[in-house]
Amino acid sequence: MSEAGASLYDALAALAESSAESDYAKDGFHHRHKVAAPKLPDIAALCHEHGYVLEMITCEDQREAHDAMRLVYTFNRLSAVDRHLIQADLPPGQEAPSIVGVYHAADWFEREVYDMYGVRFAGHPELKRILLPDDADFFALLKDFGRIEDAEQEAES
Amino acid sequence: MKIPDVPRDADRDTFYLNMGPQHPSMHGVLRMVLKLRGEQILEAEAVIGYAHRAHEKMAENRNYLMFLPNTSRVDYLSGMIYNLGYCQAIEKWMGIEVPERARTIRIIANELNRISSHLLWFGTFLLDLGGVTPFLYCFDDREEILDILDQVTGSRLTYNYGRFGGVTVDVDDAFCQRTTAFLARLRERLPRYEDLVRGNIIFRERCDGVGVMDQHTCFQHSVTGPCLRACGIEYDVRKAEPYGGYDEYDFEVPTASEGDCLARYDVRVREMEQSARIIEQALERLPDGPILPAKMKKKVKPKAGEYYFACESARGHFGIYLVSDGSDIPFKMKLRTPSFSNLSSMPEVLRNTSVADTIAIIGSVDVVMPEIDR
Repeated sequence: MSEAGASLYDALAALAESSAESDYAKDGFHHRHKVAAPKLPDIAALCHEHGYVLEMITCEDQREAHDAMRLVYTFNRLSAVDRHLIQADLPPGQEAPSIVGVYHAADWFEREVYDMYGVRFAGHPELKRILLPDDADFFALLKDFGRIEDAEQEAES
Repeated sequence: MKIPDVPRDADRDTFYLNMGPQHPSMHGVLRMVLKLRGEQILEAEAVIGYAHRAHEKMAENRNYLMFLPNTSRVDYLSGMIYNLGYCQAIEKWMGIEVPERARTIRIIANELNRISSHLLWFGTFLLDLGGVTPFLYCFDDREEILDILDQVTGSRLTYNYGRFGGVTVDVDDAFCQRTTAFLARLRERLPRYEDLVRGNIIFRERCDGVGVMDQHTCFQHSVTGPCLRACGIEYDVRKAEPYGGYDEYDFEVPTASEGDCLARYDVRVREMEQSARIIEQALERLPDGPILPAKMKKKVKPKAGEYYFACESARGHFGIYLVSDGSDIPFKMKLRTPSFSNLSSMPEVLRNTSVADTIAIIGSVDVVMPEIDR
């Protein structure tokens, strides 16, 4: 690990609930961090300071197993690959802080998470649907929406 | 963007223009809402989602192998790269060995697909700018690639050529000869395109210094691919985190420094030359042997946990983020597509340009809407 990579890892580990090295050859991540959702803007600012790019933001519907919506961020740098996976568990219904102020790319990523999972981001300049129709009344990637089995049962009954 | 009711005493020179979703130069179904004062753009907003097909939802409803045909539909212009990229991801996570011959064939198929995607961009970009002739030339070239791949894979655009561990059909001598002949022809024709297009004064006036995406904008918006390389950052997933054996090949990553439409044009044209170089090396070394492992894995069930895999599509960094719960159906699969982030920078880039420039800029970014909407 290069020096810049090491210093970001240490800085993130100081903010995170738990941090660990990961086996890049197997799963594609160099480091993993579990953080508390309110810390996300600080985490993003740290990555930004070290010149890391926000690769993506997404969400997982972990309500069944962990009673939480899990926000997922990956940061990487363009010079030498060093991927950090950031996970933040959010109690269902609660708002997450937006990081649009740090990375402009987060604008569309956060809108997509809202569109698909219904997670709201506090501080987002214009949080609205992005892929689904504006008047949609569902969040498409929630586990209790649109399962094939349900549709089949409905067709049979 | 909701178009507001204009109050009586509002600035009468300001108005809104809807460009798309059916505008011929919006590349599919992109809608740009432009707030204009005369020809000048005050604000621009991209409205997307018209081609949303819920690929990520589909992934949660079927097993890993059943999702394979979906991959090439995500970005139909570089379907091969997506299809093989998905296979390579599964192989990496499951620890499946790929025979050398299959690896080499994949490189050839990938790079042929990259050239065909760039050729299509080349033609449509110039068509947007009003030049019809280059379109006819490069579609002639592209047709040859589609025929070559059609003969092996059985499809022209939405390939389903990869399998977990190799490829479906072996290539024969005719394939190699045809590919070699095509490369010779491409080499001969690229300089002619250069004369026809690059030297054209109208083309240069439309592109030179237009739509500058500087390094800061690209960094803030996670822009990747040729658009990023055109502003001087040498980032290519094939070099940064080599997959599928790309590190064994000798090729360069073309860059430019200006970040304008002309720089993006130059980068893509030079990328075609590099792809041709890679294919030639691959054809030379193409070893004999099997194209699939002796023992295929019957059940694909990655261990529970999170995984990531990245590959370089014709438009940039394509990433697959997978959450497995240990079953044969993905718990979650996120497809990180390059055009999505590239397009998100447009409101910033388009500000203070003119309507005519919008056409040139969006054309030069090379967005593929089905890839953005997924």
